[in-house]
Amino acid sequence: MKFGLFLGCNIPLRRPDLEVALRYVYPKLGVELVDLEGASCCPTWGTMPSVDLAGWCSVSARNMCIAEEKGVDILTVCGSCYGSLSETRHKLLHDARLRDEVNRMLGEIGKEWRGTSQIRHGVWILYKDIGLEKIRKSLKYTLDGLTIAVQPGCHFLWPSEVYVDKERNPFRPRVLIELCEAMGAKAPDYSTITDCCGTGGLRSTNLEKSLKLFERKIKSIKEEVDPDLVVTSCSSCLLQYDGSVKTLKDKGRINFEIPTLHIVQLLAICLGANPDQVAGLAVTSPEEVIKKIRGEE
Amino acid sequence: MNNLDSDLPTPVILTELEKGVIEEIKEHGGENIDRCIQCGKCAGSCPVALAGFLWFNKRFIHALTLGIKEEILDIPSPWACVSCNKCTEICPRDVKPFEVVFALRRVLVEELAMPTLTMEGLRTLYEYGHAVYQTTYPETRKKVGLPEKPPTTLAYPEALEELRALLRETKLGEIGLIPME
Ligand code: SF4
Ligand code: SF4
Repeated sequence: MKFGLFLGCNIPLRRPDLEVALRYVYPKLGVELVDLEGASCCPTWGTMPSVDLAGWCSVSARNMCIAEEKGVDILTVCGSCYGSLSETRHKLLHDARLRDEVNRMLGEIGKEWRGTSQIRHGVWILYKDIGLEKIRKSLKYTLDGLTIAVQPGCHFLWPSEVYVDKERNPFRPRVLIELCEAMGAKAPDYSTITDCCGTGGLRSTNLEKSLKLFERKIKSIKEEVDPDLVVTSCSSCLLQYDGSVKTLKDKGRINFEIPTLHIVQLLAICLGANPDQVAGLAVTSPEEVIKKIRGEE
Repeated sequence: MNNLDSDLPTPVILTELEKGVIEEIKEHGGENIDRCIQCGKCAGSCPVALAGFLWFNKRFIHALTLGIKEEILDIPSPWACVSCNKCTEICPRDVKPFEVVFALRRVLVEELAMPTLTMEGLRTLYEYGHAVYQTTYPETRKKVGLPEKPPTTLAYPEALEELRALLRETKLGEIGLIPME
């Protein structure tokens, strides 16, 4: 198994510890990752998607072309990249006029979008292609005794129409829960599980409203699940949770701290990676939980 | 009961110009806007509405269907949409409200009615190939033992030139929002 690693912006520039985790986890589980040299931003929602439909698709298609030239499907673990790439791919597959216009633009730089590379979420690859059994068998540390609140993130779920892999019911997501359970943790469902973390355009338009939305969710998580850890499949959710728990605590709006890890970071730790390298950039320290996992208490 | 007629709102009569608003939205990607029956499911699932903004998907769709545009030019909430697509998932009429909100953004951009942060993202996308850009990234990467530059446009100048040439082909080149040299 071989995939083209699509990094995006958040992961390589803001949370490269997650990049280290990616490069650790997949090869360890038998998946080869190749770099997509010269790839750019997906592009994310506030930029080209907000300016020009065909322009959005062309920048995204350029990224896909790099994978097509290498004959690989794309692997990403960023919700925005997964959403933007999957949506544009879906549009290009179903709209011949748009496809022609995009290929005209790509022609100017000597490229052509053919649609031969699929867009896959790394978490689905763990779940479907690698499988829970193999993951379970590869663990050096299990999560016994740990309670996790999962945050699948919007772009893991919607619009299900554009994604290759789909939850049976996107309003009651199971994949991340089952992954955490396979690693030995309890990961109960809770009432606000599909609520948005409040980042993205909301955060850049009105920080206080974004924080309020996040506060509502993290309080419901605390009350209903009371977890040791939040685990997400999206790098944007990771940044929002990690940063905002700290902000709300500092402002005295919550009196607890819950650390957050991307599922790939958590898996890296359970497979035996160096926690400082795969989770060392967190603002809300996951140190206690990691000690517990590694039996260092 | 006998004056029921006078209690009803006056029907809005669309002028040719106002009808054009729907066409504009459709051209920019909101093709299904006039399938909307204002059932409100999109609003009930929208983080923008939940966060307390007064304008969100359903209300934008209503206003645009009535041909109203000038009045919503300066409202910030089209830019607060988190692109979650929960509305598109839930809409029983396949309106794809997300596509309408983004079509609205594209119409607003043509009127240059956009927040400065959008400009900043476009600028760094053109300059570095990354809309989310952090000047401190080389140190951050070194801290976790990675090479200073990721294998993206940052490490491949010819790929960056290629991306820039492509961006100049798009509407971004046409409307001249950012310097593109
Ligand atoms: S859910 Fe669909 S039909 Fe209902 S108000 Fe929203 S856009 Fe209109
Ligand atoms: S995509 Fe935008 S409009 Fe639709 S529910 Fe999400 S935030 Fe609201």
